[in-house]
Amino acid sequence: MTAKDRWLVWAFLAPALILMGVMLYYPMVGTVIESFYDTSFISPEPEFVGWAVYEKVWNSRQFPEVVWNSIYWTVGVVLLQNVLGFFVAMLLNQGLPAQGLLRALVLLPFVLPGVVTAILWRFMYDPQLGLVNSIMIRLGLFEDNAAWLADADTAMAAVIFVAVWKGFPFSMLIYLAALQNVDKSQLEAATIDGAGPWRRLIDVTLPSIKEVVVVNIVLTLILTFNYFDIVWVMTRGGPQNATHIFPTRIFETGFGQFRFGEAAVYGVFSILILAVLVALYVIVQTGASKRRRTS
Amino acid sequence: MTLTPSARLALIVCQIALAIFVLLPFFWMLSVSLKPATEPFAIPARLWPENPTLENYVTAFRPEFRTYFLNSLIVSGASVVITVTLALLAAYSFARRTLLILTALMSLVVLAQMFPHSAIIIPIYKMMRAADLLNTYASLIIAYVSVTLPVAIWMLRGFLLKLPVSLEEAAAIDGAGPLRVFFEIVVPLARPGIIATAVYVLIVTWQEFLFALSFTSTREMRTLPVGLNDFIGQYGIRYGELMASSVMVSLPVIAVFFFLQRYFVAGLTAGAVKG
Repeated sequence: MTAKDRWLVWAFLAPALILMGVMLYYPMVGTVIESFYDTSFISPEPEFVGWAVYEKVWNSRQFPEVVWNSIYWTVGVVLLQNVLGFFVAMLLNQGLPAQGLLRALVLLPFVLPGVVTAILWRFMYDPQLGLVNSIMIRLGLFEDNAAWLADADTAMAAVIFVAVWKGFPFSMLIYLAALQNVDKSQLEAATIDGAGPWRRLIDVTLPSIKEVVVVNIVLTLILTFNYFDIVWVMTRGGPQNATHIFPTRIFETGFGQFRFGEAAVYGVFSILILAVLVALYVIVQTGASKRRRTS
Repeated sequence: MTLTPSARLALIVCQIALAIFVLLPFFWMLSVSLKPATEPFAIPARLWPENPTLENYVTAFRPEFRTYFLNSLIVSGASVVITVTLALLAAYSFARRTLLILTALMSLVVLAQMFPHSAIIIPIYKMMRAADLLNTYASLIIAYVSVTLPVAIWMLRGFLLKLPVSLEEAAAIDGAGPLRVFFEIVVPLARPGIIATAVYVLIVTWQEFLFALSFTSTREMRTLPVGLNDFIGQYGIRYGELMASSVMVSLPVIAVFFFLQRYFVAGLTAGAVKG
């Protein structure tokens, strides 16, 4: 494309940009507008009510539950997924036999459809027929049949475990690519200086992939916060709302109870939380590219 | 790097543990799908059925499953073709021109990939309802193209940036118009990037659940993930059929992914590490 083809630049961009504008950016504004409207028994048509729905949601018993669950869920998944992803990437970067095959196999959960993952693990967790309790009993860890998903104390941890099982391959892939770019001569120099594997990890490897780690963590924070399918299919937010996070609460309020105003208020709160995370991402990213330019 | 024999052994043990952690659920899914309905569940569970059979697959491949499968195929197939086409066009503009406004627009594209679908779904639902598109393929295809476009543009732009511009310039000097340059030089060279992006769109749309659940209410229009979710209630604890359906839902994406994973992994990590 040359300068005189300016029309072509815009002709190529137009379909994608218009579609994203109408289907992604407009609905962001639409959700905010929606949150100021409510439907009542007297008038089924949406009616402007100002901050009334916000007050109702803010003072409800569910709201603090959803906030707390979302924090528990997001922090749990992101932490475990990144730690596991990182160590598996280290393991698959040691030049051991069969690691190409193993890398391909490790990616399997990542490709497995979310609903299938959820159904499979519902079954794995089944108190009587599931493999989890079978293994626990055989290993002598449990005497009775624990109902992982039906118990409000264990349900969230059980769902987090599944999300980590499905999500760690993605983090692993990105860490593996970063590890393969670590300067080999620096690692060798450290070895000659007598550094063991832990020292090499802390002194050489981690500093040189620091940026990828931070970007990866913020990215998985955003993706995890938006998660819907596994949680919904495994627990529908239960038992006793113990696994209701923002996306499941929005779906249930909006499409289960058709209270669009309330659902939109939850949507606005989740947009605000995400805005903070995205701002964090932008700060980290621009910091990283600035350092890259100066170094 | 050289490892001591004991360290090597420890790492191999870790590899085996990793393989079990990842593969055991898959093995279990396959095993239960092959278990005859007459064979009871043993406690503790047997890892492999005594008399494996395909009868669960035959029962699970019922007419409604075939309808869901066809719906998924149509919706995902159309989304892949449309997203890749629109994204390639947009990515070409983003990759070849350096205007300030394009940089700003590209930031908006990257930002859009982080939008929570659950937070924007109500206005989208209302638009679809107003346009009378609920319970149509079009509603899902439009939504899927929109939500996959940001990452697709980002992946293809990263890919196009690595292609040498000199070939395009040479063709332009030889008198080829910009459209000919695009179709005869850029598109063939971008093939690995196109494949990587297509695999991404397929993986996302094949399992998409939230939009499909909200926009389709009739059995005739449901896609596989929603249909599978319905089976939980319908099948009760007939896990054999449920697992057989799950295997059939997963096989197409797993097969495509394994044939094309080197493209996908290269496309994803190149963009992700480079930023």
